[in-house]
Amino acid sequence: MKKPDGKVVLLGDMSVGKTSLLHRYMERRFQDTVSTVGGAFYLKQWGPYNISIWDTAGREQFHGLGSMYCRGAAAVILTYDVNSLQSLTELEDRFLALTDTASADCIFAIVGNKVDLTDDCALSPETEDENRPEKSLASCGSIKVRKQVRAEDAIALYKKILKYKMLDEKDVPAAEKMCFETSAKTGYKVDYLFETVFEMVVPIIVRQKAEGSPQTVDITDYKPAKRTKSGCCA
Amino acid sequence: MTYSEVIKQDHPEGTMSVKAFKLVSAVEREMLMGDKAHINIECIECCGKNLYIGTNDCFIYHFLLDEKISTAGKVTFAATKQLHKYLGFKKSVTELKAASALTRLLVLCDNTITLVNMMNLEPVPTGARIKGAVTFTLNENPVSGDPFCVEVCIISVKRRTIQMFMVFEDRVQIVKEVFTPEQPYAVAVDGYYLCLALTTQYIILNYNTGISQDLFPYCSDEKRPIVKRIGRQEFLLAGPGGLGMFATVDGISQRAPVHWSENVIGAALCFPYVVALDDEFITVHSMLDQQQKQTLPFKEGHILQDFEGKVIVATNKGVYILVPLPLEKQIQDLLASHRVEEALVLAKGARRNIPKEKFQVMYKRILQQAGFIQFAQLQFLEAKELFRSGQLDVRELISLYPFLLPTSSSFIRSHPPLHEYADLNQLTQGDQEKMTKCKRFLMSYLNEVRSTDVANGYKEDIDTALLKLYAEANHESLLDLLVSENFCLLTDSAAWLEKHKKYFALGLLYHYNGQDAAALQLWVKIVNGDIQDSTRSDLYEYIVDFLTFCSDQDLVWKYSEWALQKNEEVGVQIFTKRPLEEQEKNINPDDIISRLNKYPKSLVKYLEHLVLERRIEKEKYHTHLAVLYLEAIFQLKSVATDNCTETTELLFKLRSLLQKSDLYRIHFILDKIRGTDLHMESAILYGKLEEHEKALHILVHELKDFHAAEEYCIWNSENRGLQYRQRLFHMLLSVYLNTGTSDCALVMAAVDLLNNHAAEFDAALVLQLVPDNWSVQLLCPFLAGAVRQSIHTTRMTQIALGLAQAENLIYKHEKVKQKGTPILLSDKKVCQVCQNPFCKPVFVKYPNGGMVHTHCAANRHLNSNMIHRSSSSSNQT
Ligand SMILES: Nc1nc2c(ncn2[C@@H]2O[C@H](COP(=O)(O)OP(=O)(O)OP(=O)(O)O)[C@@H](O)[C@H]2O)c(=O)[nH]1
Ligand SMILES: [Mg+2]
Repeated sequence: MKKPDGKVVLLGDMSVGKTSLLHRYMERRFQDTVSTVGGAFYLKQWGPYNISIWDTAGREQFHGLGSMYCRGAAAVILTYDVNSLQSLTELEDRFLALTDTASADCIFAIVGNKVDLTDDCALSPETEDENRPEKSLASCGSIKVRKQVRAEDAIALYKKILKYKMLDEKDVPAAEKMCFETSAKTGYKVDYLFETVFEMVVPIIVRQKAEGSPQTVDITDYKPAKRTKSGCCA
Repeated sequence: MTYSEVIKQDHPEGTMSVKAFKLVSAVEREMLMGDKAHINIECIECCGKNLYIGTNDCFIYHFLLDEKISTAGKVTFAATKQLHKYLGFKKSVTELKAASALTRLLVLCDNTITLVNMMNLEPVPTGARIKGAVTFTLNENPVSGDPFCVEVCIISVKRRTIQMFMVFEDRVQIVKEVFTPEQPYAVAVDGYYLCLALTTQYIILNYNTGISQDLFPYCSDEKRPIVKRIGRQEFLLAGPGGLGMFATVDGISQRAPVHWSENVIGAALCFPYVVALDDEFITVHSMLDQQQKQTLPFKEGHILQDFEGKVIVATNKGVYILVPLPLEKQIQDLLASHRVEEALVLAKGARRNIPKEKFQVMYKRILQQAGFIQFAQLQFLEAKELFRSGQLDVRELISLYPFLLPTSSSFIRSHPPLHEYADLNQLTQGDQEKMTKCKRFLMSYLNEVRSTDVANGYKEDIDTALLKLYAEANHESLLDLLVSENFCLLTDSAAWLEKHKKYFALGLLYHYNGQDAAALQLWVKIVNGDIQDSTRSDLYEYIVDFLTFCSDQDLVWKYSEWALQKNEEVGVQIFTKRPLEEQEKNINPDDIISRLNKYPKSLVKYLEHLVLERRIEKEKYHTHLAVLYLEAIFQLKSVATDNCTETTELLFKLRSLLQKSDLYRIHFILDKIRGTDLHMESAILYGKLEEHEKALHILVHELKDFHAAEEYCIWNSENRGLQYRQRLFHMLLSVYLNTGTSDCALVMAAVDLLNNHAAEFDAALVLQLVPDNWSVQLLCPFLAGAVRQSIHTTRMTQIALGLAQAENLIYKHEKVKQKGTPILLSDKKVCQVCQNPFCKPVFVKYPNGGMVHTHCAANRHLNSNMIHRSSSSSNQT
């Protein structure tokens, strides 16, 4: 098995479309998924590097695994469903803490998925789907709903994350650049999302490699043994 | 490679499964407990052939396990009981671990670990033991480096305490005691790293540094945790939702989890499989793709462990061994059920378990087999990639297609076969569409590989097969193949092309093999309609072209006749377009001419080629060509009175030849046209003879073509100076005027001539000739021109005269200057060369004033140095 050089982790509530996004990007199609059990990963060759992309399970039951999956991650993609405000709130309440184990210079992307279901028509000209007719039929023919989560909400969350991480806005990619709206179903902005993230991950990989073995954890990251109160299995 | 999630599905066995393991009984219940129903197996240990069993009634049993493989490959185990020993408590034996380097068996019973001899099960005489252990494990990646010591890690009866011991042959020594944040329930060790299942979570704890790392939460109260070392720095843990989670000592996961059932009891590893036990099944997952590969029903199991690669399961009453099927067999099974992807993953995963050479041979073969599976499913892209990476002998593929391999090919399919198909007919079951697709694939595949290393050694087979495919499919590349470098075998290919009526291509094949005669014979037959092949509609031209560049003279002679008969004008190109060096070297033009005699048009063309293009300066060709033109013209004139375009063209050519060439026999031609109406031509001929008066007479009086007459004067005087030209023009004027009859047209022509060509005349001479009755008005332009010319000439002459006088004056001035003052000769004046006085009043004076004898000056060239020196010395005096 090839050893990955860097890790990208997808986090987010169940059925926001993490698996579908990854599937769309890796296999170039959209198909029925089953709720992820535990986690799964793909290896993506990006230039000279192998990047492992972890798809985590959004189900509460597997929540405890998140920290381990995030450990040493070079990027975390926080995913929500644009039609569910709840899914965005969950990112802050439930998933943000899981990223404590990520690499110190980990980058964050916030992705609102399923834009095809909204009446936001701005996306049609930019769609990356090869199957345009099918897409427009599928998306424009169905009943559209008003988008529940606005782009500004995601940007606000991004800024909160920076605060939480005690990062200066000047030192990290701009919020506008790191907040995406995608559709795994049509393929809208999916490649753009992953490619933008990979592009940013490369310098981190290079530095991780220069500093020592990849994905090993900074020694300061170890905590002396202590009792944790965090959730027991559901 | 993708590691996709596993979806637990209750597949009936067989649809998704690989047969990775076989369950074989090792120790039957009777051998252990007979009919004593209360006795249960508590723990087992296996070390080499030694199998130890601990029971709930405090006995240890020792068996020797013998593996037997029947001729059919069936594996069975026979266990022979060696010993059994009662430990003397009323407690069960909870754990057994062998330390073969010490020949010790570590026995956990009643919270105490005792050391007993592996062979006789007697406790060590020193009575060394570890007290207060709930459970223990051995460090399989020991840190001490002492081969006669094993490292033992125990969960102590003391709360939240782990202890590390070094165990020697007959003593034990505590190394370390560490406290854990919660009560530990299970432990595994790798080097300094402990992987612990605590009450609410799994952690990694480095007992050397004390640093710990959380893995993930897990509720040990509700479900029995599993902690299993699976290799260097990697553990397998029971996770939430029945997951088998992988974690490294760094606290990260490098593999996606496997999905067990919720109530999994134990897990074992037998690369590349993770085996798990629950109360109903043994499940087998692949670590390579995380998929569930096999399910074996197994009731009441409660122990599952691997010992040096041997997986053993036990119920309370019996012991069974999971015998892994050889990887190759598993891979072959997968291939047989067309599960290519999985087979390849498994094969790749086996790389590190098989010696390199053996692996490569095996792997290549698997790739090839996989390629054929994809091929049979018409997945050509995948197939091609597999064939390529598997370095398939292309002939394996070609041989699937009936009749493609040349009869002479020595190829025999590899054995055992790479696929199950006799040939393409069987593979496609006669489906023509599929067949065509397969053929198209082979075409593109062969075309791709024929120029690569893959083709080395069997280029003939490949190219011949390709030719056959192209021919059969009527593919245009057939011709490209044959006209470029190829290795098509002649006999095989020829027969095939003939069969498919590809006669033109067959000709190309002959040509490529140096059999031009055969090629031409075929092609001529096609043109003649004796055989049918419409490949080229311009085959005749093609043949002509072929002959043009053919260096076999016999063939050229043989087929040029045919070509000329078909079309004189095109056929003659065989000779006219022939490369020059070829012409000069090999073929004598006279031979060609004598051959072409039958074909007048060709002959004209050929002579034109010699005379006009190659500019061969031979009288006979020039005369011959002129005569041929003439004959043709007469011939045409005899049939049609009007000048048709053809005649005009010929006349034009004839005139051009007569004018430009100086080589033909003028009188001979003149004789031929005398008495005909070819006036212009005779004029040209007279011109050539310098009989300009005659010529002009013809032009003016016979042809009455004044323009032609003027032209005549111009081209006949080309490059011959003004004088000559004036003479001609004057002659023309005379012809116009000296007619006796005063033909008005001639007079007009004369006037025009004078007025338009004033410069070509000597006005004085003209005026003598012009009739007195002509008005000045009439000749005004001429006269004006002449006067102007005359004045111009006068002035120009005056200027020249003036300039000459000026120049003369300058020279005179120089001369006077040179004369200067008189020079007195005396005895004191000596020659600067010979230093003698001048005896005669004759001397040479140099511009610098130096004086020498005339004879000394004449000698100065002989000794210029001296002169030079003496002249410089004279400068000083
Ligand atoms: N219309 C629409 N549906 C989507 C899109 N992405 C995902 N879905 C659907 O949403 C459902 C959940 O998608 P998943 O990709 O399984 O979601 P997930 O985030 O992986 O969920 P968990 O694995 O449970 O964490 C599926 O029915 C998908 O078909 C999208 O872009 N548009
Ligand atoms: Mg999922």
